[in-house]
Amino acid sequence: MSPNALCFGDEFPAAGAPCFVQVDTGGLTIAFESDEGDGVREATQFSALTVSAGGIDHDHLVVKWNNIRGERTLYLKNPDVIRAFREAVPDHLDAPLAQVAERVRQVRQRRRLVWGIVGGAILSSVLGLWLGSDILVEVAVSRIPVEWEQKLGESAYRDFLTHQDVVKEGPAVAAVEEMTHRLTEQIQNNPYSFQVTVVKSDVINAFALPGGYVVVFTGLMKKAENGEEVAGVLSHELNHVLQRHGLERIVKSVGLLTAVAIVFGNQQGLIGMMKQLGIELLTLKFGREQETEADLKGLELLQRAKIDPSGMIRFFERLSEKGEGRMEWLSTHPMSAARAERLKGELAALPKTLPVPFTFDWKQVQASLGSQPVAVP
Amino acid sequence: MKSEILYPGAFPMVRVELAAGENIKAESGAMVACSPTIDIESKMEGGFLGALSRKFLTGEKFFFQTLRASRGPGEALLAPTVPGEIAILELDGVNEYMVQKDGFLAGADAIVIESQMQSMSRGLLGGEGFFILKISGKGMLVLNSFGAIHKIELKPNQEYIVDNSHLVAWSTTTSYNIEKATSGWVASFTSGEGFVCRFRGPGLVYIQSRNPGSFGAWIRQFIPVSE
Repeated sequence: MSPNALCFGDEFPAAGAPCFVQVDTGGLTIAFESDEGDGVREATQFSALTVSAGGIDHDHLVVKWNNIRGERTLYLKNPDVIRAFREAVPDHLDAPLAQVAERVRQVRQRRRLVWGIVGGAILSSVLGLWLGSDILVEVAVSRIPVEWEQKLGESAYRDFLTHQDVVKEGPAVAAVEEMTHRLTEQIQNNPYSFQVTVVKSDVINAFALPGGYVVVFTGLMKKAENGEEVAGVLSHELNHVLQRHGLERIVKSVGLLTAVAIVFGNQQGLIGMMKQLGIELLTLKFGREQETEADLKGLELLQRAKIDPSGMIRFFERLSEKGEGRMEWLSTHPMSAARAERLKGELAALPKTLPVPFTFDWKQVQASLGSQPVAVP
Repeated sequence: MKSEILYPGAFPMVRVELAAGENIKAESGAMVACSPTIDIESKMEGGFLGALSRKFLTGEKFFFQTLRASRGPGEALLAPTVPGEIAILELDGVNEYMVQKDGFLAGADAIVIESQMQSMSRGLLGGEGFFILKISGKGMLVLNSFGAIHKIELKPNQEYIVDNSHLVAWSTTTSYNIEKATSGWVASFTSGEGFVCRFRGPGLVYIQSRNPGSFGAWIRQFIPVSE
């Protein structure tokens, strides 16, 4: 017969005397444990009892009565005993018992409510931080000085060029310089001094590093039908730099905490973090949203520079079709019909301007690259 | 299973004698020495999720160690991390204790350890955090404290006020409210007490004679600051 309740009274220890409570028709019988086999028994009538809720979590049923030895307080927690008690009690205890049950319910409900509110608040702030991380990244990026960004980009640029066959002069370089000049003079408050380098390679691609360092591969120039197409790609790449997309990617990959640190003034920490994480600027890929932004801003820039923007769209579309060199471009510039469509829509919305042609002859530029113009598939 | 406190005072140890086949669970790292007949096992009490919740919610250790006298009778010596007294309680299946997170040292195999959520006010102001251990079941429970351990016995409706950071364990038949130490807010904090717990009996409240948080703050001023 293991104890199922604790009884408190003057002669019992403060921790309570373990006892076995039995609910009878007329009242309670309490048997106390004792070392000598059969223990002491006490009985009480229901009429003598008062009930309340007690205990640290208000989950004990507290039954009190007086007998010749003084006041007795019984703490019941065992659900079977409590059920038996509720079923057996006479009418005069029903109302107090219902009150006790109500009180326990209220305490539990209030606790659940408070925890629900707190849980909800925590969850929503976590969600807010998650969704707001883009904003945080933007704020962090805006705190990084341009000079610092240039230093970062320049070292990666120098590293890259040492292993490459750079085209230093000739019609191709002149053409790219003309395009760059036409585009950059239309950029207001331009903090970057753009450096565009032509690199001899069959790769059909171009890329931009933070700080304004742009590389155009001769493969791309060979593939293009005219200067406007190359200018379109160039405009797209320049806008990756202007929108600081590279930095955004870096800050995102080094993590939210670093972004917070940057916002609060520790910009230098980023270099260390990049080194630790081994982030390679050259392998940095832009996100879909960043590509779209560079497309749209690029289109606007072409328009302002009076370069025919349809060249950009045409070139993108052609590269997305099947053909050689498709993979290099697509690996960094995922092309979709929707993207081209959006650009077309955007172009239609822009005011029509009369394009001013480039001064160079594109066929000559391509000839200087050492091959015949590639036939358009 | 027999247990005995060796070197009572600041640096005590508990010696637990285990009959063949008996086992006890102890806080991870509590074992100091044991007979070669005893195997030490690591166990996630309450299953993986229970252990996880205990680790993250109460700050208690993820694993408990189980010392099992699998190769015959033997004894084990257990000690807590912090200097302070040890108390041995006997649970009989009906009395249960709430134990603050660092208070548990060891217990018989048949005792049940759960982490339990406290009410918001107790969690915020009580100083034990939102989750504490609730220990029930049958058998020996060994508590450790920081400083000396003191037992307060409360009769039904008897009240007692305890500074919240001195709490070690208390019966679930007690209840308490958090209140300001003095009637004014400023005086509550300038008095150095802040919030206190007003306990109401019946039941037992075990308190420790030193406040770990205050001791930490005090010792911090002597630690050289490195660059």
